[in-house]
Amino acid sequence: MNSSPSYTDKTSDAAMSRRSFLRGCAAFGGVSALAASLAPLRELSDYTNTEQFLQKYYKELTPSDMTKVIARIEGEVERQYGIRPHVRDLKPMDGVEFVYALNLTRCIGCRKCVHACVKENNQSGSPEIQYIRVLKMPHGSMDVEKGNHNYDDKQVPEKGFFYMPIQCQQCKNPPCVKVCPVNATWQEKDGITVIDYDWCIGCRYCEAACPYWARRFNFTKPDIPKVRLNPDMAYLGNRPRKQGVMEKCHFCIQRTRVGKYPACLEVCPVGARKFGNILDPESEISYILREKRVFIQLKEEIGTSPRFFYYFDK
Amino acid sequence: MEKSGSSDGIKYGALTNYWLSGLTVGFLGLAIFFVISSKKKSVSQPNIALVDKKFLETTPWRQTYADLVKAKEDLSDYDCYGCHDKAKPPLIRFDSNQKLIIPKEHANIQMAHGAHERNNLCYNCHNEQNLLTLQVRDERNIKFDNIPQLCGSCHGPTYRDWDAGAHGRTSGYWDRSLGNSTRLSCANCHNPHAPHIPTREPAPGPHSLHQDSTHHERAEALH
Repeated sequence: MNSSPSYTDKTSDAAMSRRSFLRGCAAFGGVSALAASLAPLRELSDYTNTEQFLQKYYKELTPSDMTKVIARIEGEVERQYGIRPHVRDLKPMDGVEFVYALNLTRCIGCRKCVHACVKENNQSGSPEIQYIRVLKMPHGSMDVEKGNHNYDDKQVPEKGFFYMPIQCQQCKNPPCVKVCPVNATWQEKDGITVIDYDWCIGCRYCEAACPYWARRFNFTKPDIPKVRLNPDMAYLGNRPRKQGVMEKCHFCIQRTRVGKYPACLEVCPVGARKFGNILDPESEISYILREKRVFIQLKEEIGTSPRFFYYFDK
Repeated sequence: MEKSGSSDGIKYGALTNYWLSGLTVGFLGLAIFFVISSKKKSVSQPNIALVDKKFLETTPWRQTYADLVKAKEDLSDYDCYGCHDKAKPPLIRFDSNQKLIIPKEHANIQMAHGAHERNNLCYNCHNEQNLLTLQVRDERNIKFDNIPQLCGSCHGPTYRDWDAGAHGRTSGYWDRSLGNSTRLSCANCHNPHAPHIPTREPAPGPHSLHQDSTHHERAEALH
């Protein structure tokens, strides 16, 4: 495309000169190219809208703001998955502090908890996100470096090994909260460290700070199979996440804050998982910490003081 | 400079035309690039199959007598006196190695209770005077739907833990003021004749984002 040096063929009274034709082509081409170059933005339209962009910090939301936010989330989920979810903003209960205990004598390493958690908490199927990692450890050592979470035995448990599931330890002194530059993650008074997925900027500092490898990052848009979508959702819990935010175990907020046991406990076939309110002296969790051989908080020497305890029977 | 060639009277220089044509080519190139790059995914995502539904089951492994009664199941297996004589307690026979001989009518029973399977005397738990009940050593009779009492007569610490909720499965509500919880009975998990929990098939392990064949070999090597 070149402008001709010769002007003799110009006919000023013609309906369309060569120049105006070229200019029209250029303008049309330019506009359509601009439109095409903006096309990738269409994929973002599911997530980015002004309402969400202007949303205030979770702790500053008034109840009426929250109603609007929940309506927006329910609409978004329905548009994407075709299921109308029931989203709630559940607050911590008074006089409750959650503690988890896991019986290492009983755990057989069947990984049912891993998959019950994925289904309950709407984790991405591909790429896979799982909150619980089950380590297969040789007897006689508590060194997690010797653990292997990729075991693919035909039958479990294998003789000479024990199995140690690891998930968010809900630390009393959480390093992940300290490093968050925007306060998108914090510890609630019932002991659960939560994440506001609408406030997270995806810097992954918390992932690096966590000594238990408990935090997961959504590198791509999560792919949640529609047939496995759990419509019972909580704002700080299992509502679908978007690309570029962190997530982790939150003790199934949508279940535990209405009095139910977490999903990993319900599915455990050997009853190795125990959960409850440590402030209630009658609870089974109080009994375990009082009577059983509770031997560790994982990596207790680093001072995170987890609310997740491992214990033995005999 | 040149004279205007169009009716709207705006004048264009040769330089402007070069710019316009250059920009057009540039934008078209960008458009083609974006269209192509939006078609292919930036991260190759492995196709991970949904986990088998059996791994999501929360139902107990076994059914107890009480469960069978509740579900109105066939209870003919528990009709002892359909075959046995009430006045004559069945005899227990052992082979030359002191191993229990299980009669062919009860061939479905596999005995493996206690260290070296030494708890193999049927009447340690069954009541020979009334086969429809169980008995503990202090001669208390116990019904089939109350097995924890029987098991607890030997396994005291385990019974104490179970009673406090520390042993065995509990499900439902941790906050008893908001809802009910159910605690499974001994025989929901343990086979009374062979109480050791058998080995099981584990659910599939994690898939990493960039899984290749070497990853699998490394996992094998760690065993």
